[in-house]
Amino acid sequence: MEQKQRVLVIIPAYNEAENIVRVVRHMMEQAPQYDYLVVNDGSTDDTLDLCRRENFHYLDLSINMGIGGAVQAGYVYARKYGYDIAVQMDGDGQHDIAYLDRMLAPILRGEADVVIGSRFLEKEGFQSSASRRMGINILSALIWLTTGKHIMDVTSGYRAVNKMFIRIYSEDYPMDYPEPEAIVAAIMHLGRVKEVPVQMRAREGGISSITFRKSIYYMIKVTLAILICRMGYGIRRGRREDLQEPRGEE
Amino acid sequence: MIPATLRLTLIIAVVCYFIVILYFLKQKALNLKYTLLWLVAGLVMGILVAVPELLVSIIHIFGIQDNMNGLFIFAIGFMIMILLSLTSIASRQNRKIRTLTQELAILDKRVRELEKKDIE
Repeated sequence: MEQKQRVLVIIPAYNEAENIVRVVRHMMEQAPQYDYLVVNDGSTDDTLDLCRRENFHYLDLSINMGIGGAVQAGYVYARKYGYDIAVQMDGDGQHDIAYLDRMLAPILRGEADVVIGSRFLEKEGFQSSASRRMGINILSALIWLTTGKHIMDVTSGYRAVNKMFIRIYSEDYPMDYPEPEAIVAAIMHLGRVKEVPVQMRAREGGISSITFRKSIYYMIKVTLAILICRMGYGIRRGRREDLQEPRGEE
Repeated sequence: MIPATLRLTLIIAVVCYFIVILYFLKQKALNLKYTLLWLVAGLVMGILVAVPELLVSIIHIFGIQDNMNGLFIFAIGFMIMILLSLTSIASRQNRKIRTLTQELAILDKRVRELEKKDIE
């Protein structure tokens, strides 16, 4: 039963020429039973050439659309080809494929719809800078206030979702800085969101997409996005059984 | 109350406005769908030039003292409306482009796979 589930690992990559080959090869060695899909988000460096040369599975977005658009392309692909579970994992080597099974477990057991790999549950591995952690805590508190659900690592881009959320995210996925907003959307769709402890590494090469200069804009934008996203759903009092599409045929 | 020469200038301006819009429409540089708002605006301007008393009474209904101020307030309000609708059009198009780009990328992958299969 468990091994029949088809899993797609989505690896968004924007200018990740320094990392992408290592990340994908590592994935192919450590978890060859799962499919992967690199989404080249209109990179201006050699990312596309490397994918082509290495014969990776990749999507090539002709325009740079930001992480949200790239990840969503992966979900659209997963939906189109009937995958049961989709995992999103950054192309910069921060996320360790070794935790993949741990992330998949709650979904395979049918206990969760969305699983988030969290750095802060066991407080091991790379913990990010103090100022970043403060920002994450603020957003975490905001999500708790607006949805009543406590998620620690709201900006983690290491996630696994089941078929139901492949469909939901392929239809509508937030743009710009999508991670916290996507959690709110998941909760408002009555998804069971679960955090699983993982360790992350500091970036091995390239530069993070969020520079210090942008962090103020980031906080304002994401705060607004969470509030608007929450507003968009109004008062939700439905039960899971009310969802229109049953969760698979299992 | 509006001097005759000013009125004449305004009439010429409105006529020019319509000529420009119609020219753009004819060149297909403008989509009729998005031009309707501008045409309505021109119509309103035309009516106001023809019957200036209308503007004065409307402005007084809103409690604005100065006629010119009232005119500016209306004009600015109208422009904000148009800008908002443009932003909404841009957002909608952004969404469509996103979908297209994603579909294109998925098709591109499919074509690559088929080509590879062909060679084999």
